[in-house]
Amino acid sequence: MSAFIASLPTLGRQGLARHGFLAVVAVCFVGFAVANPSFVGGANLVNILSGAVIPLIVGLGMTLVVALGAIDLSVGIALDFGSAFAIVVLKDYGAAWYLAVLIGIAGGALIGLANAVLIVRLRISPFLATLGTFFIGGSLQRIFTHGGGPISYRRLPPEYYDIAVGEVFGIPIRILIAATLLIAYFLLLERSTFGKKIHSIGLQSRAARVAGLPVGRLVAIGFVLAGATAAVGGLVASANLRMFTPLAGNAYLMDAIAAVFIGASMHRDGRPNVLGTLTGVLFLSMVANGLNLMGLDFNLKDALSGLILVAALALSIIQHRRRT
Amino acid sequence: MSTTLAIGRPQLNSALASVVPLAIFLALLGYFGLRAPGFLEPATLILILKQAIPTAVLGLGLAIVVIAGGDDVVAGGIDLSVPSIAVLSAAIIADQLASHGSSAATAVALGFAAAIAAGAANALLVTRVGMTPLLATLATSTAYIGLSKVVTANRRIDLADPLIVTLRDGTVLGLPLGVVVATGLVAIAHIAVHRSRWGLRLQAVGGNRDAAEIAGLKVHRFLAQSFLIAGAFGGAASLFVLARGSGSTPGVAETLLMEMVLATFLGAAFSPRRVVTVWGAVLGAILVSALSIGFGSVGVDVFWTGCIKGGLILIVVAASALAKRNRT
Amino acid sequence: MTAPVPPPTPVSPIAGAADFLVLEAISKGFPGVQALDGAGLGVRAGEIHGVVGENGAGKSTLIKVLAGIYRPDAGRILLDGAEIDAGSPDAVQAAGIRFIHQELNLVPHFTVAETIFLGQELSGPFGLRTGAMRRAAEAFLKDTLDTDIAGHRLIADLGIAERKLVQIARALIDGKARVVVFDEPTAPLSHTEIEHLFRAIDALARRGIAMIYVSHYLSEITRICHRVSVLRNGRNVGLVDPVGHDDADRLISLMVGRDIGDLYPKRNHAATTPWLTLTALSQPPHYADVDLEIRRGEIVGLAGLVGSGREELVDTITGLGRPTSGRIVVDGRPLRSGSTAAAADHGLAHVPRDRRNDGLVLAMNVADNINLASLEAVSTGGFVRRSAATTRAEQSAEALDIRPKTVTTAARLLSGGNQQKVVLARGLATGASLFVLDEPTIGVDVGAKAEIYALIEHLAAEGAAVLVSSSDPTELLGLCDRILVLVRGRIVAEVTPATTDLDRLVALTTGGEPAGGLAA
Repeated sequence: MSAFIASLPTLGRQGLARHGFLAVVAVCFVGFAVANPSFVGGANLVNILSGAVIPLIVGLGMTLVVALGAIDLSVGIALDFGSAFAIVVLKDYGAAWYLAVLIGIAGGALIGLANAVLIVRLRISPFLATLGTFFIGGSLQRIFTHGGGPISYRRLPPEYYDIAVGEVFGIPIRILIAATLLIAYFLLLERSTFGKKIHSIGLQSRAARVAGLPVGRLVAIGFVLAGATAAVGGLVASANLRMFTPLAGNAYLMDAIAAVFIGASMHRDGRPNVLGTLTGVLFLSMVANGLNLMGLDFNLKDALSGLILVAALALSIIQHRRRT
Repeated sequence: MSTTLAIGRPQLNSALASVVPLAIFLALLGYFGLRAPGFLEPATLILILKQAIPTAVLGLGLAIVVIAGGDDVVAGGIDLSVPSIAVLSAAIIADQLASHGSSAATAVALGFAAAIAAGAANALLVTRVGMTPLLATLATSTAYIGLSKVVTANRRIDLADPLIVTLRDGTVLGLPLGVVVATGLVAIAHIAVHRSRWGLRLQAVGGNRDAAEIAGLKVHRFLAQSFLIAGAFGGAASLFVLARGSGSTPGVAETLLMEMVLATFLGAAFSPRRVVTVWGAVLGAILVSALSIGFGSVGVDVFWTGCIKGGLILIVVAASALAKRNRT
Repeated sequence: MTAPVPPPTPVSPIAGAADFLVLEAISKGFPGVQALDGAGLGVRAGEIHGVVGENGAGKSTLIKVLAGIYRPDAGRILLDGAEIDAGSPDAVQAAGIRFIHQELNLVPHFTVAETIFLGQELSGPFGLRTGAMRRAAEAFLKDTLDTDIAGHRLIADLGIAERKLVQIARALIDGKARVVVFDEPTAPLSHTEIEHLFRAIDALARRGIAMIYVSHYLSEITRICHRVSVLRNGRNVGLVDPVGHDDADRLISLMVGRDIGDLYPKRNHAATTPWLTLTALSQPPHYADVDLEIRRGEIVGLAGLVGSGREELVDTITGLGRPTSGRIVVDGRPLRSGSTAAAADHGLAHVPRDRRNDGLVLAMNVADNINLASLEAVSTGGFVRRSAATTRAEQSAEALDIRPKTVTTAARLLSGGNQQKVVLARGLATGASLFVLDEPTIGVDVGAKAEIYALIEHLAAEGAAVLVSSSDPTELLGLCDRILVLVRGRIVAEVTPATTDLDRLVALTTGGEPAGGLAA
């Protein structure tokens, strides 16, 4: 018993480090609940889930790219392209909703393909390559929209509109889409041969190459998948607002990266992983939702969420380092 | 003493690759000179220098972080938050001058204090917490931008303070004051990094961390210093940002980020050892500014310039990657 | 193991002198292992003292104790009769004990002078005194190491041997060095470069510096050292004094603690159908016009110095590099060059020379590494059957005697020999018919070497075509059916072990240059 008591101070110190991230989650949760009791209501919990849909979709692609040992700064652009391509073919060409979905996804994949060519063929580091795509993609949107005005289309086909607002058996379709992608990415990254190869490239690409893996092809596939996945987020966003908003996707970039790294630091070996990313995304969505409910000034909310993001990342990384 | 096949490296490709970026720039500048006759006049050249100042000062900060951390952009040193630090510091200075009636000295002191604090936060996250610089500074840059929006309520603040006006319009011996001050900053950075004991050690830390540790250097101290200095350069850049924009404008951080990264890595592509240097960053900033003004003078749509600059980043780094591959 | 050359009879001006540096009854334990158990070492001024032992014998722990990186549980360190604060790197440095680590750890874009003076730069009122440092560095290299290297050259432009000399100069520049510890200094060096290094070390000995020389290469140890301490299981098991050039066998039996018998397996394989054919393969300036044929059931050796084009040729065959002309054909099918994946499709398995960087994914476990190149065999519809994957890895670990037996151990925790077995197991799991082994026993201790040789013999006996590229001529002679000698990028000779002895093979690889000794 006395030994137990003697160990308490260390428990306290290590406790914060070991459970630092969970402590932040708990503090935020209680804080938001006290500030506005409706935060814990069932309807609001669905709001938190809904708010997590697009960040999760973008974050899944980012998880794949970070597992490859790379980074993709252009996922926001891929999201924009998904949204733009779909809205434009619906509005200007009267395409069927499913065709618009396919073309939107292809638009995102196009950004991924551009990255793949730059990284695999021209050997540019992923950071600089996707930074280049980020600037060029953003610039192209400004050119196309003559300065960045949104393209709205009020008469969306109902099926397309349902991507954002429809329900099946009482479950919002957008949540179903996110859940499906979540399961697909889980199987792909954590259970498939493709995932094993991806992780080996991310950990030590030279060794993966010597082992005879087609590293270039796998990296290319990874970036194209990440772009296509982000475009699905763009479909949800455009269906929700019934418009394409240029450069809207960049808002998700930081959250996606943060979610992946929070998730990775929760993994035993520090690897990016799908369930970790889900946790990170839900946390960030909870913070955004809680700050909204507090009725804060828009700018203050922005600053606070930035600071919380830095703190959460720092704590989760300290936590990982203490554990290993 | 070497019996190894005295292997001449495949110099041709390497030489070609290192010439490509420079050739592109010279060709573009020549084209501007032909198409827009005023382009090569002294007034335009001074304008180019003036416009280059904020980018150059930010580039100095980034260059020092890259020199200390190594040029692997993910694992090595990078500070994407310098432009955000400049924007935050500029917001504080503008707000103090415009809304609080502070003296210029107080306003600048507060802005600088914020910039140094921001640099310290980066240093802490990288050296103490162990975050990779890319992740840490990407995250803090969103926080700094957020804070700057709180300060200015996300509105433009016009300034007519004598300090800012002098920095914008003043001249020394016929040269713009801003250019003179910036040249001083460049000289200080150059001497510190390339001519001093501290600078050599800083370079060693970035060039091979194990080598630096074996030589008895305290690696983390140098890394922390580099982020603090980058913060200070962010603070210095804020004055030039205010002078160039005649006040604080929301949303300039993204453009500044692109120009800073472009200038710094462009400079590395031109440097003989193919590493990031102080002079390289400055030269890069001047070239980027020349391009912006050149494209403007031949009437290229402003939306296209972003596109062209992005493309240039890619061409230059691809050429540099190719040259590096052939060297090893 | 390089050539045995006439030994420089250790002139021992130091015989009988008192030990200058003494490590006395050092013990150091880690959880689960007693790394050092009363081990000691005595080194005289001007002596080159060899330290040998298998991996795990305690060599590196002893060196780390001396360096102050580990604080010993018991024992003390005396320098010139005075005790040093063991466990303090600063005290060790201040006492004048310097370490030449195996890794070069230099800054590629630094000049020679900047590198040597890093940490103790010459500086004046106008900043760094670049010119003074350059001249001082050049003079120091000339006087102390008998070597001419211009102070303004970039490290990136130096050869490996020159870099090694710069590394040594950096450790000695402050003029306070009294003891220098060399850890595997010759690993990346060619034969002649080693000679140059040895001359430099000899020059240091004549200045009265005490030196400790740690190496796996026994022929070097017997050649350059005055005395040799042998460690086993953390204890001293012998002091050979003086050591002579024919003491290698004695050292081996002391190290292993038993007669290891024949290191090389009995040949039990027979060449059948032609399998790998290279035709006029060229990649100037590295190699040119290489023709080569390997049959199934045959082990072919590739000899050549560092810089002979051997590494580049191996890289080309395995798909890491790309030839400028020529053809690679495996089993009658041309191989698309520059793709390791295409090579793997043709049944090629590559065991690379840089095991830790290129051979294994260190952070993954043994099972994942073994299965990495043949995941399809343990998966259904693209999904890994985890029990099948584990079972197969366990079987393979069992067959190759990979230790520890638990295949969930991270690969980075294995010893060099066991890591090498994992790389081989990965190739075996793909059912490869062509094995390209590059320096297969580098950094592997004697016991594990014999096991790896037996495995290579087994591969050939099972009908695989095997190419062994090695800087160790003894290994090639012991293992191969034929040996091709590469000099300056061209195959200059093809020899068989039956008709060639070590001296001739060494002479061939050095391009007919007579092997020089220290006395030369």
